[in-house]
Amino acid sequence: MASPSILLPGDDVLLDLRSTTSTPLKVGAGLRLLHESATSTPPSYTVTAIHAGLLSTDNKRNAISVLSFANHRYIATINDLVIAQIHHSSLDYLHCIVTPHTPYALLGQLAFEGATKKTRPVLKPGDLVYARVLSVGVGAGTEVELVCVNPATGKAEPGGLGPLVGGMVFDVSVGFAARLMRASSTSAPGDTDVIILDELGKKLEHKGGFEVAVGRNGKVWIDCSSNKDIAVQATIAIGRCLTETDTCNLDPIEQRKLVSRTLRAARIDP
Amino acid sequence: MPRPTATLSPLLRADGSASYTCPSTGCLIMGSVNGPIELPGRRDAQKPEEATLDVLVKPGTAQAGVGEKYVEGILKGLLGRLLLGRETGFPRRGIVMTLVVSGGENGGKVRRGESYLPILPALLHTLLLALLSAAIPMSMTYTATAVAVTSTGEIKGDPSVRDAASAVSFHVLAFSSKGHLLLSQSEGSFDLDLWEQVYEHAYATCRGSQPVTADGDISMIEDASGYNLESFVRKTVEDQIHHDYSWMNNDA
Repeated sequence: MASPSILLPGDDVLLDLRSTTSTPLKVGAGLRLLHESATSTPPSYTVTAIHAGLLSTDNKRNAISVLSFANHRYIATINDLVIAQIHHSSLDYLHCIVTPHTPYALLGQLAFEGATKKTRPVLKPGDLVYARVLSVGVGAGTEVELVCVNPATGKAEPGGLGPLVGGMVFDVSVGFAARLMRASSTSAPGDTDVIILDELGKKLEHKGGFEVAVGRNGKVWIDCSSNKDIAVQATIAIGRCLTETDTCNLDPIEQRKLVSRTLRAARIDP
Repeated sequence: MPRPTATLSPLLRADGSASYTCPSTGCLIMGSVNGPIELPGRRDAQKPEEATLDVLVKPGTAQAGVGEKYVEGILKGLLGRLLLGRETGFPRRGIVMTLVVSGGENGGKVRRGESYLPILPALLHTLLLALLSAAIPMSMTYTATAVAVTSTGEIKGDPSVRDAASAVSFHVLAFSSKGHLLLSQSEGSFDLDLWEQVYEHAYATCRGSQPVTADGDISMIEDASGYNLESFVRKTVEDQIHHDYSWMNNDA
């Protein structure tokens, strides 16, 4: 499209909704579908914005959504991957913090790969888990439920779900976490605008590499313990790179510069 | 006409924030919005079906008093009609909005017994921008303006605090982005004809084009560039979006 369209709440989306393709239109975050007139046949609809932001259209999936300001609060959505912190444990559930100042999310004591009543991970308050949002409940104000396992297969799918041991968590904005997730899901290189993790991976590969988990709730977990000598420096350097890319909205060229500058400052990559 | 200035998301830790400088009264207002969150120890305030709104107005250097409580009530009533508190994740939670008034005459302090109306439009605009920045779902946006009527019967837009003190009547009107009248607060003595004139003046300041009047005459108040408060809100949001999404490829 020629110019990006920026919407304010109440603005109508000017799109031809009777799509020619067979896939139905998906109305994503920040938009709602309103009946124009219930009596007319066929019923006519309008799509109206409820957030301020940039309209993003995905022609392949026939989906539209509004990209809002990056700093807003995370609201749990089914199938999102989040990094949760255990607050306390009860008989059947672990009570986890997903975002501050919200009610605890529930994580079943047995919702881990290969967990039975006798063998299950023992998690203390403060421990971290990488989990998937199973349900946000039906109706108003019900609890968010998390799982670390695919209930159908009993495996930790997608990979890496479960307790996060060691490492360190950095807070980033919700919008940046979504960008990181999108960058890792698109397979073709050069197709993304966040290359910082690829770039760091290349530079740190011969030093033992690092592990990373991105939670949609604006948290990134980083573990560099494979190389004992530089574990702390590398973790801090990666965290700094991520937070700076987030706050300064760096583009790929600036991200490359930032990586080499930060690694040099941390005396990892002379 | 001096123009207001605003910044979106100046606070990093808040979910949404905005700062706003009102040119006519000179006050600087900082607003932050957090939500949806659990209101601690406020079981009684939870609504089972929708979000609870909590507006706090703080004068820069004093404790909040009766005047602040009154203006909080006005803001809450207006927002209750615009916020979509039934969206996923919002019922039984709270949206906490905090506004701090500083700068301006008397150091941002509205003295005891003084009216809050002169800075009410500025409070409304700050709140709107902070809500947009926090991505709280809203059905539409709004703009607001103050109008003073002097002793000679002259209608004066964007009155200063001194104008407001000497005015015969003082009005604050807010319009939604679809043209509805959302708020009409008036002080002093006036009749309905005068209020109609005030309404037309305020409508033109907020939305640019005039509502069609009975006698069909339209007076242009907006300046040559077509500037009005609605375009100011839109411009502020667009600038911030361009800044936030500067990493995005233009061809994407």
